[in-house]
Amino acid sequence: MRESVIKIENLSYKYEKGSLALKNINIDIKKGEFVGIIGQNGAGKSTLLKNITGLLRPTEGRILVNGRDTINVPVSDLALEVGFVLQNPDRQLFANTVEEEVAFGPKNVGLNEAQIKERVDYALDAVGLNDYRDAFPPALSKGDRAKVVIASVLAMGPQIIILDEPTSGQDYRGCYQIMDIAKEFNKRGHTLVVVTHHMALVAEYTERTIVMMNSEVLLDGSTREVFSHPDKLRMTHIKPPQITEVARSLQPKIPINQTILNVGEFGEKLIALKSEKGGNAVNAG
Amino acid sequence: MSVIDYYPGDSLVHRLDPRVKLITLIVVTVTIFLLSNFFVIAAFFLSCLMCWHIAGLPLNKVKGFLKFLLSLFVFLTVVQSLFLPGEHYLFKGFFSLEGAIFGLLLSFRLLTLICFMPLVIMTTPINKLALGLVKMGMSYKIAYMATTALNIIPTFQDETKVIMDAQKMRGLTVFEKGKLIEKFKAYPTLVVPLVIGAMRRAQLMGVAMDSRAFGAGKTKTFIEDISLQNVDIVALVLILILCGIALWVNFAW
Amino acid sequence: MAETIIKVDNVSYRYPRTKKWVLKELNLEIKEGEFIAVMGENGAGKTTFCQCINGVIPHSQQGKLKGVITVAGLNTLQTPISKLSQIVGMVLEDPETQLFTTKVKEEVAFGPENLSMPVPEILERIRWALKVVRLEQYAERHPTALSGGQKQRLAIAAAIAMKPKILVLDEPTSQLDPIGTEEVFSVIRELKDEYGMTVVIATHKSEEIAKFADRVLVLKDGQIQAFDIPQLIFRNTKLMKDNWIRPPQVSELATLLEEKGQLLKGFPILPEEAIQLLTKWYEEGEA
Repeated sequence: MRESVIKIENLSYKYEKGSLALKNINIDIKKGEFVGIIGQNGAGKSTLLKNITGLLRPTEGRILVNGRDTINVPVSDLALEVGFVLQNPDRQLFANTVEEEVAFGPKNVGLNEAQIKERVDYALDAVGLNDYRDAFPPALSKGDRAKVVIASVLAMGPQIIILDEPTSGQDYRGCYQIMDIAKEFNKRGHTLVVVTHHMALVAEYTERTIVMMNSEVLLDGSTREVFSHPDKLRMTHIKPPQITEVARSLQPKIPINQTILNVGEFGEKLIALKSEKGGNAVNAG
Repeated sequence: MSVIDYYPGDSLVHRLDPRVKLITLIVVTVTIFLLSNFFVIAAFFLSCLMCWHIAGLPLNKVKGFLKFLLSLFVFLTVVQSLFLPGEHYLFKGFFSLEGAIFGLLLSFRLLTLICFMPLVIMTTPINKLALGLVKMGMSYKIAYMATTALNIIPTFQDETKVIMDAQKMRGLTVFEKGKLIEKFKAYPTLVVPLVIGAMRRAQLMGVAMDSRAFGAGKTKTFIEDISLQNVDIVALVLILILCGIALWVNFAW
Repeated sequence: MAETIIKVDNVSYRYPRTKKWVLKELNLEIKEGEFIAVMGENGAGKTTFCQCINGVIPHSQQGKLKGVITVAGLNTLQTPISKLSQIVGMVLEDPETQLFTTKVKEEVAFGPENLSMPVPEILERIRWALKVVRLEQYAERHPTALSGGQKQRLAIAAAIAMKPKILVLDEPTSQLDPIGTEEVFSVIRELKDEYGMTVVIATHKSEEIAKFADRVLVLKDGQIQAFDIPQLIFRNTKLMKDNWIRPPQVSELATLLEEKGQLLKGFPILPEEAIQLLTKWYEEGEA
């Protein structure tokens, strides 16, 4: 069994105004997982992320990061373990060059120059912005601006990386490049948590999905398992990816017998089924 | 919730014509600056609090603001007592009693004044405020720009918080526990994204406003017009009389 | 045949103080009542194109504009933006930047007020516009109290209160959740079907485009790559790849099957079509 890196126990959070934003949340995220969090706006996704990263503090319950209760850990210390990429990249870019922007975090935590350089190189390489070191961040394309921000968080050296709607406002190229960066980091052993409205991306990239509704966790399981509950998802106004729905509607005429998550696997399955059936037909004939 | 947000309600203060409120604000400001008698200022302060009460404005929502004012006033009083010469001193040659009293009086005057302002802004929807200004002769473009700026301040406050959160995640701690000079040095990390964001926003807002014919003609209509009611006239006359009495009391006694 | 309502004649544009032309010799015509989707990567010129149609370019955005854009018979260069605003309504991407009043009702009134329309007329338009976007019950609310989808519907109401013939929407759903997206598209659909409005919408959401659009305009580096019906656009694998457009998943599936030598009897862009075609394809083996 893999070790827990984020363990949330009976977490509730109440805003100052008194409205309950999180109700009795229990989530256990293991090292190396790639987790998607989905749900309508206002379901509590962002509040949950802010609690994990220490920007908000639990009203009740507790959060363990790498086994340590985070209640008294300062945000800046926690940031070394949990990297949090906030939604809009434009709300943090301030430096004159990409390099300076990415070096900001490592400098803040007091690394020496050699270490900073190493971190910056690593992060820029990871997001593929090596050739843009001297570029002025606000002048980059939206997709590249998002990558700079991801690099600036990666440079902090966190094991866990949380992305809050990284694909919002991005075009198709931006979406896939960002998700591919996330996937690559997951492969290198990092734990990834992604909040998004983009169901096709969740289905394609994540292995586990958590569905939130009205401040609570509605579903938590393997992505395939979660998308096999269309009726429950409908309660939260989430539609599974188009291809998943089509595959479901084709049954029982075509015996697919599983929840389809992406176009590739559906294509293979269909071809396999047809040749199998063709084979049977020949045998029967 | 802050002192520049509109706080909905249906009190007498809410219902007054924005023009009456704006004129009152001007008259009261001038009067308070002329006043020197502690008791007369106190009377103004109490009537201001009474208006807050009538308007049903929650004092606890502006706690932070009041705290800020308080620290400002303590500072003012201390500075005045340090630098104003007087006859009575707390220590030998330091902290004159006269200076302290002057400082207190100044603070009290400012407090009273500052408490009147939110009373107008928090009880008047921004569009009515703009309308009030237009009816008082201001060009509607300028009135709209001014009130829109006011409307945007809360958005900037939210934005600032988001930016600070983002920088915290990159290990920036100076805004919580840094020295003043460090904070000063770190300001670009906050101000640059804020300004760039504001510029983008202003540009897009311009597009949106143009697309809806803003500034198309010299005049424009208003679906929610304002007109002076009897109660407005009575209120204005009363306020003028009260300010007159206050000045008379202050200088005659 | 419906009449041409938008005519773009050899149009090029570059922003002030820049050298790069963001639109290059564009030529196209859009018919009255058409639903046009504009696709392409970020930076392809979609926003610039949208702003040319409603006259923001060149009236409030400086720069160099060449060629002629005609909307409903009027040359945008020679028509003041206040007049154009009654022909072309505009909805932007970010809900926050286009709502600036303190009441839903006021927001809708803003445009007509600027045109000094009589109050009863404005009130009638507010009633109508809020009904179309299904926000009647929120008339007295503060716009910030609305959800993302509701805010964008309010922006639509504010635009259609000017009774425009054309509605231009620049990525109106890119920041919305799926339910918000659906709400916005269903309102746009109604505007087209019930009121015959011409719709030009820049968006990346190909599944919605497949459902609603009559034609798709693909832009790249300010040039037209293709302008055709969705079936032909999404079927063109090279076009999709070159422009980083993701077709609807059912179209992707059809392309994938085709590559593996499995031909469907038609090219699906909608789920219903895919279900029908796949069922037929699967059953064929039995014959």
